[in-house]
Amino acid sequence: MHSPFQRTRRAFLKSSTATIALPFLESFGHRAFAAAPKLAAPPKRLLYMGMGFGVTADKWFPERDQTGSDYEFPAILNPLEKHREDLTFIQNLMHKDSADGHSGSTFWLTGANRYAIPGQSFHNSVSVDQVAAEALGKETRFSSIQLGATGGANSNSDGHGPGLSLAWNRLGKPIAGLNTPVSAFHRLFSESNTSLEERQAMLNEQRSVLDTVMENAKSMQRKISTSDNEKLDEYLQSVREIEIRLAKEEAWLEVPKKKPNPAIKEPNKSLRGYKEMGIMVDLMVAAMQVDASRVFTYKMPVDTMISSLGATMSAHTMSHYSEGERRTVSEMRDLHNAKFLARFIDKMKATKEADGSNLFDHSTLTMGTNIFSVHTLRNCPTIVAGGGAGFKQGRSLVMNDEKTPLCNLWYSQLKGSGIHVDSFGDSTGVIEELFES
Amino acid sequence: MFSQSFFSSFAFFALLFPLQGVAQDAIPRDATLPAKHAEIIEEYCLDCHDAFTEEAEVNLEDLNYNLAHDIQTAELWQKVLNVLNSGEMPPEKEKQIPDSAKASLLDDLSSNIVIARSILGDSGGVIPLRRLNRREYQNTLQDLIGVIPDVSNLPDDQAATEFDTMGGSLYFSSDQLESYLSTAKRALNLATKRNPSRPSRIIRLEPEDEWNKTYTQYHQEQLDVRAQAQQWMDNGKTEQAAIKAGFLDSYQARKLLRQYNEYAPQLAHYLKDPVHKTGVSLILANKKGYTRVRTPGIPFHEPGRYIIRVKAAHYPETPSRFHYIEYIHTNGSNTNRLGWKKVKGTFQDPEIVEFTTDYQPGGRRNFVLHQRSHQDRADKNIWVHDQRKNNIGTLPGVWIDWVELEGPLPETSTSFLIQLLKEYKRTPNKKQVEEILKAFAKRAFRGQEAQQPYINKLLARYETYRTQKQKHEIALNNTLAIILTSPKFLYLVEESSDHTGDKELLSDYELATRLSYFLTSSPPDDLLLAAAENGQLSEPKYLREHTERLLSSEKNQRFVESFSHQWLEMHRLDMFQFNGVHYPEFDNAIRENARKEIYAMMNHQLKEQRPLKELLKADYVIINDILADYYGIEGVKGSHFRKVSLPENSPRGGILGTAAFHVMGSDGDRSSPVERGVWVLRHLLNTPPPPAPPNVPQLSRLEGQRLTPQQLQQAHQEEPQCAQCHRKIDPIGYGLENFDATGTWRVQDAFYKRSKRGYGARDVAEHFPVKAQGELLDGTHFSSFFELRDIVASHSDAFAHKLVEGLVSYGLGRPYGFTDHDLAQEILTKARPHGYTVSECIHALVASEAFQSR
Repeated sequence: MHSPFQRTRRAFLKSSTATIALPFLESFGHRAFAAAPKLAAPPKRLLYMGMGFGVTADKWFPERDQTGSDYEFPAILNPLEKHREDLTFIQNLMHKDSADGHSGSTFWLTGANRYAIPGQSFHNSVSVDQVAAEALGKETRFSSIQLGATGGANSNSDGHGPGLSLAWNRLGKPIAGLNTPVSAFHRLFSESNTSLEERQAMLNEQRSVLDTVMENAKSMQRKISTSDNEKLDEYLQSVREIEIRLAKEEAWLEVPKKKPNPAIKEPNKSLRGYKEMGIMVDLMVAAMQVDASRVFTYKMPVDTMISSLGATMSAHTMSHYSEGERRTVSEMRDLHNAKFLARFIDKMKATKEADGSNLFDHSTLTMGTNIFSVHTLRNCPTIVAGGGAGFKQGRSLVMNDEKTPLCNLWYSQLKGSGIHVDSFGDSTGVIEELFES
Repeated sequence: MFSQSFFSSFAFFALLFPLQGVAQDAIPRDATLPAKHAEIIEEYCLDCHDAFTEEAEVNLEDLNYNLAHDIQTAELWQKVLNVLNSGEMPPEKEKQIPDSAKASLLDDLSSNIVIARSILGDSGGVIPLRRLNRREYQNTLQDLIGVIPDVSNLPDDQAATEFDTMGGSLYFSSDQLESYLSTAKRALNLATKRNPSRPSRIIRLEPEDEWNKTYTQYHQEQLDVRAQAQQWMDNGKTEQAAIKAGFLDSYQARKLLRQYNEYAPQLAHYLKDPVHKTGVSLILANKKGYTRVRTPGIPFHEPGRYIIRVKAAHYPETPSRFHYIEYIHTNGSNTNRLGWKKVKGTFQDPEIVEFTTDYQPGGRRNFVLHQRSHQDRADKNIWVHDQRKNNIGTLPGVWIDWVELEGPLPETSTSFLIQLLKEYKRTPNKKQVEEILKAFAKRAFRGQEAQQPYINKLLARYETYRTQKQKHEIALNNTLAIILTSPKFLYLVEESSDHTGDKELLSDYELATRLSYFLTSSPPDDLLLAAAENGQLSEPKYLREHTERLLSSEKNQRFVESFSHQWLEMHRLDMFQFNGVHYPEFDNAIRENARKEIYAMMNHQLKEQRPLKELLKADYVIINDILADYYGIEGVKGSHFRKVSLPENSPRGGILGTAAFHVMGSDGDRSSPVERGVWVLRHLLNTPPPPAPPNVPQLSRLEGQRLTPQQLQQAHQEEPQCAQCHRKIDPIGYGLENFDATGTWRVQDAFYKRSKRGYGARDVAEHFPVKAQGELLDGTHFSSFFELRDIVASHSDAFAHKLVEGLVSYGLGRPYGFTDHDLAQEILTKARPHGYTVSECIHALVASEAFQSR
């Protein structure tokens, strides 16, 4: 796994500046990992915020007969109204194949049919953020960032369903997330105290370790059945992913992690729920400001969120709202998710790019979930915001076809962000209305 | 989450599904919709959806009535089910299907979809390659190196399926690979870095030294505020007077004065009591929280057994709930509640209470003792309510004179690694390092020799570390950590001689591994490995002996707990926070011990080889002192669980009488007849209702109305979409209404209105009597909880089937499948003469071909 170019490249980097080094790096086979390139135009970004359990059905959506820009903003989402010109509600989107009434996130970004493969009771496919990351992640330190909530990795009480984050890799296997603000902070911003040589040695050491476990895997591969080998592929895939990351880390070795301005401190460990969501916003905005990554997913807390607001029931209890306290909590949840998104947009608008525009102008944010309300999986709640994909914002759209694939939106976002794919999931095309001028 | 009925719903049609016959072994082998429904489809659907019109490109004319014909067929039927459930079809303007026919069609369709999914998703008995799950990984490291690793950064593997042993759902991500490496390094460093053993010693702490100081100071602060406030009041309570007296404003003055009035009497009362000259009482002082009595800390590198002793007395005038000491370990914001001990000693004759703990490096070292606690803010809320009554808040139940720690007593066992290292000198030469690596890898790989090229690479790693000036111990640990990150360690490898995956007998080592992880969640021990080595293990006689040995071993508790927890979906026990003011008796001690009660029942089943039906109904309970207090049973002393006979007519005895069951069947506030009914159908009667269908409209008409359970039940029967399941679920749930949300017996229930008194209080709006009576779908009447319990208990065959399904899934590491019909029959046939004891079911499974082959 040692690159024959390692020494040359390092020597080269020392004698030159990283910016000029870029074309040479590409010829060295490091096409994918360009350290700190000079930005011609501000980059495109995609962000997905998954809400888990659905929303308060009769209050969250704009009236279906008020479409276009002249619609009454849902009162329950009041904090978001100041951004109404910059966001769009889309109704009548759904995944035709999803059938799990408690899985708001498992198939949300993939659109897969759980039962598609004979002989398997669970199947998933790649998520839209990961397709985006393959293109948008080439030039950043982190191809994509997956965030979750404290305690969320192992909790299925938030209506997210199985999965380690919102993201699923090319094999349709779950990708792990950073589930606390502290771990996200360290991944994104903290710098190790060790010297360059030591870090290079550490990378080499990690490679040798991978080489050793691969030797063990090879002797195992020869002895086990074909189907077991398919399972072992998950391990091999993990090794490959680490190798790619190490190569990337190596390319970025001499580029210090950029410090956001204003500086961001290590978050308080005890924050939970709604406050934790606020910190995650700060971290994502800071990460975009220093261009650490361009693709983010956030599996939002539900249980800890409502309990941080004083509710004493579980998220699942709340999701089956009826009149009285449950409905109050459900509406409070919707209101605070709106506040969360509004603050997110505020902060992105306030963060300038080099050319004077702001982060929000070049980003596409989606907040939504696969679950409409209770166990209903149609009309997935969807808000799209930002100028990144060239969508005409400021409207309430109700698709004519009640079963318009949600994947059409994902496909539109990819295309609008300049990512060339022929389709995504079960998409049948782009949503033309989004691109109307 | 995945409804587990996807995975285990084969014996679907036993009891309450009159359409499908009654025998518990009638596992449907196909998913064919009864022909009678064809008429409905023809009459109400084909006008638009025939081969000619094909409205919306849906053609139902040539549809195969065998739902499991292929995935496309199942998908189309799923669509039909969805649109019927949502009321989308038939369209409003068209002729509607009569309710009873619709309910019957929905019933058959939804249950057959589940069967079809199972048939189509069946892996044909293939056991996928299995990674160690988090529990097993932790146990394995503990056995190998003698340290319980911190696994908090590994996924807990319980999210996706019924059991965390199912290989197909045990994923691997790149983060995990790195976590394994760092976890192993840290654990190995803890394991090998230990101080030379020192003689046992006793350290004693007098907790009043700390707490009298704290409380005196706190009280003085309050008195100071009082003096300040006096100045403010003397000067006319004005803003200026407030500032002059040292407050920010008069608002603050008023607030602090109010706090003084609330909090100060408690401390004044506490501090003047002479018993606090020589000890502390466990109180909850507002702002300062519990009186947390710290024990002396265990020295970091001195593993062994430690004894914590507390000299204590109880206050006879406070309720017995407060006569317990709760001892916990905290680590950051994580609190582990380790247990509760009742103090029987009096002030005249205090008692020495003992706790024992086995300390391993990396384990817990600091313990804290305090009063019994509730979740969240409940204790404070209760304190406020008490304070309003007696002016000094919740009264203490326990007084503590001193706390001492004795240890380390000599270690009882040594780990494989430490034994191995003892055979070599401190800094072994290269050849010896190679021997160590080989021996450790062989043990880590559960008896399989490591290949030489791999050993060579490990050795190269070790030597590189040494040239990087790492000390031998560190270099070796870093190398051993690679072994513990290698796939042959992390996966339970079962070889296939020709790669085809065709059925093949396991090798003796593989069998030892499967058996050991099944019954102890741990790697095979010395005796098992020896039996595998000399080829004895696969002989039925020895296999049974070893199975018996493992079942009676201490480590079998790992099976009992993890199997019961998952099999009975006991995660629900932690899903809800209870309002401590509504349910003051239901605290953390009850929740934890309610969980342990279920484990203790299973353990009793196994160890005493009791007939399985005693889990459904018994004239005894397996409880300890805490639960005895809770259930109102007298004469039970000590925190260990033991068999206690029940008086006649006791509602306790069997799962349906446990606090755990009823708490799981609640939403943290009210009992939930639907949850309880579903749970009984799924877990006891083995007739799981289909998963909650998506897109069913809510009964919005009922919003805001005050409905008794029976009225709700009637409402559930109105729409055929609801009735199809709720007519099976609801009667059972209502038959259990004599237990409130915390499992306490009641004869009346109430509607509440929100109270204005605050701190979690509520007021009764209206009482109504509990009517635990009803009729099951097959027409069986019951007129009380006791009769319902008898009906459930009469179905122990179905319950045994459910147990076997669970054991097969858990033990083989794959979902119980369509292909397991014969296996289940084989096991049940063998276990039936023994009254379906859990142990005979396990023996029969272990003896089966399925268990011994891959």
